[in-house]
Amino acid sequence: MGVYLVLRRIRGRKIGLLWTVVLLLFVSAVKPAAAQDNYEIQVYGSDTVAPRTTMLELHSNFTVDGSKPLPGSVYAADQLYPTNHAEHETVEITQGITSWSEVGFYIFTSARSGQGWQWVGDHIRPRVRAPDSWHWPVGVSLSTEIGYQRRDFSTDTWTWEIRPIVDKQIGRWYFAVNPAFERSFHGQSVSQGVGFAPNAKFSYDFNKYISGGLEYYADYGSLRDIYTFHNQQQQFFPAIDLNVSPNWEINFGVGVGVTAGTDHLIVKAILGRRFDWTHHRAGGSESTQ
Amino acid sequence: MSFGKSINRREFLAQAGVAALGAGASLQALAQAQAAADFRLEIAPLKLEIAPGKVIHTVAYSGQVPGPLIRWPEGKAITIDVVNRTDIPEIVHWHGLWIPSDQDGAMEEGSPMIAPGGERRYCFTPRPSGFRWYHTHIYAGHDLKRGLYSAQFGCFYIDPKNAPGAYDQEIFLSLHDWNAYMGGSADASMDAFYDYSTIGDRMLGHGEPIRVRAGQRVLFRLLNSSATMTHWLALAGHDMTVVAMDGNPVPVQARVKAVRLAPAERIDLLVEMNQPGVWMLGETRAEVRKAGMGVIVEYAGRQGEAKWIDPPEMIWEYRPFARQDPATSEPDVRIPLIFISKFRGHGEFDYWMINGKSYPKTDTIRLDEGRRYRLVMHNKSTDDHPIHLHRHTFEVTSLEGKSMSGLRKDVVVVRGNTTAEIDFLASNPGLTLFHCHQQSHMDFGFMMLFRYR
Repeated sequence: MGVYLVLRRIRGRKIGLLWTVVLLLFVSAVKPAAAQDNYEIQVYGSDTVAPRTTMLELHSNFTVDGSKPLPGSVYAADQLYPTNHAEHETVEITQGITSWSEVGFYIFTSARSGQGWQWVGDHIRPRVRAPDSWHWPVGVSLSTEIGYQRRDFSTDTWTWEIRPIVDKQIGRWYFAVNPAFERSFHGQSVSQGVGFAPNAKFSYDFNKYISGGLEYYADYGSLRDIYTFHNQQQQFFPAIDLNVSPNWEINFGVGVGVTAGTDHLIVKAILGRRFDWTHHRAGGSESTQ
Repeated sequence: MSFGKSINRREFLAQAGVAALGAGASLQALAQAQAAADFRLEIAPLKLEIAPGKVIHTVAYSGQVPGPLIRWPEGKAITIDVVNRTDIPEIVHWHGLWIPSDQDGAMEEGSPMIAPGGERRYCFTPRPSGFRWYHTHIYAGHDLKRGLYSAQFGCFYIDPKNAPGAYDQEIFLSLHDWNAYMGGSADASMDAFYDYSTIGDRMLGHGEPIRVRAGQRVLFRLLNSSATMTHWLALAGHDMTVVAMDGNPVPVQARVKAVRLAPAERIDLLVEMNQPGVWMLGETRAEVRKAGMGVIVEYAGRQGEAKWIDPPEMIWEYRPFARQDPATSEPDVRIPLIFISKFRGHGEFDYWMINGKSYPKTDTIRLDEGRRYRLVMHNKSTDDHPIHLHRHTFEVTSLEGKSMSGLRKDVVVVRGNTTAEIDFLASNPGLTLFHCHQQSHMDFGFMMLFRYR
């Protein structure tokens, strides 16, 4: 369940003060170099949380190799707090509304040496999906997300995203694609219009409990002016999902950024617990009492 | 899967005639073959409107859902002609009857399939008495319109020679689920889910109510004909007395607020109509009632909105309806059976195995006529399995390690990660099929044969 924080930055380097000033001027003169999405790193599946059920997830992401502070500054070159060695903890609470809709709420936090543990922002994310009764050959849902994040962590403080989601499970193989579109309402990227940030995933069920695959996260920049490849975000996460219980979701991955505009190495983990508030007697073939 | 040769009516008459003459006896058999059948079923496509604008495209018996009630005296021979007006081979299984393998209606036992456009006459003497049923017994696999996902089911009641009949009204009801599709289940593999559910042929609120009078004793005979779904049922405002399971009187009658019926199970419930009003007889889960599973029960002279009252939470057990002491007869042979699933991906139905093998590779177990066998079933999966033994009735002798006796059934639910034991007397020679009655389980390996020596 991806969240786009529009964290514009370029990679930090060990450079002098003069060069820092020059660089800051340069940054302000050109389009933002890249977008980074390292608070909640997840490709959405089309399924929604069941009604009268709550999903509580903790997203823990550690940036092993990210943006660094400029000499003599607490900020990186993009005037944001650096991400290098930052631990991002995001709490996501999703409540199922109907069999085809849900609402998610996010609390983003960041912890880093020198900055302590700080609140970053909150988002709200309603989502609907094609009901099962439509019998579509693929799972389809549509998510929209709006929220605020502090200026210290993002060049854009109010952002909106719309995310179509298509997925399909065929035997042991799973495929998902999220061609997301983003818009800033307040901040540096307002004038850029709509940005395009697709995610995708495929995985294979090694057995009932372990699935492994590759997740892809990208940001191509504004639809009006696609970034050069150098400035795009292109990130690949080999990841595993553990299906130990229907009430738990566990995902773990290591992400490698392959462009200059991407944090080069991130470790991510998702731990989710489902709370079913109904007291129904189960149907289907699962044990019925 | 191969299909046996089916025969048309002319071939049947010729073969029956030759067989009868060859046997030297039985002109009676020849006469029976040439006479009109006692019942005739036509398997044909049907558009079933379960509620205004909600039309199910299915296949049914004789254009109705459920198929016609077959009511017949115990011990009297019956002939039933079945015509197949579909474009695939079909077969009709007579569930719960002690009849020969070639009449039982399971291809695996040697009953012939009925070819598209073909016809077959079934001849047998129905027994034992009680509530039985009939249904298709074909492979559906991933085609969730076929087999028990369709409307090919009907009630078959064999009147006992001495029926007490201590009731004022008798009502046969069948529970069914419609428009199946594959969906992800809680246990990580695929399962069948459904758009609609009905009692009879109409969704809750869209059919004729059951009309009763205050003071009546009404006998409800309930059948769960769903391909895969277990259902919970209650009659709001009323207690129900369980008098029979799978057509066999229970040793201990007990009052309950709700009952559980797994696929293929039947239950006979006696209800004293002592709460005048308009009530719902329906699934205890609101979402399943909303999908249509329910019927309105209306007392004479009462009108208004049907009322629903949630029954208290309960754990359903067979034990209260059985004797608590162990079975009096020890088995001659114990046969251990281990049920386990084989994962094939989160997007696929599991394969099922009995003692490590999936049908048709499962071992065929030899039986000696006259011996008493105990099946010791270890369910090492998380799914419940409604286990059915063809052509025999068994006694449930142990559930989850606790002995019991006297409860005679032809389907028993072996709950996930538990053990159940059943005894049966090998008294009906011929190939005998043993399987889970969930269509998606039996289609993917959960079957086994017994063969008499």
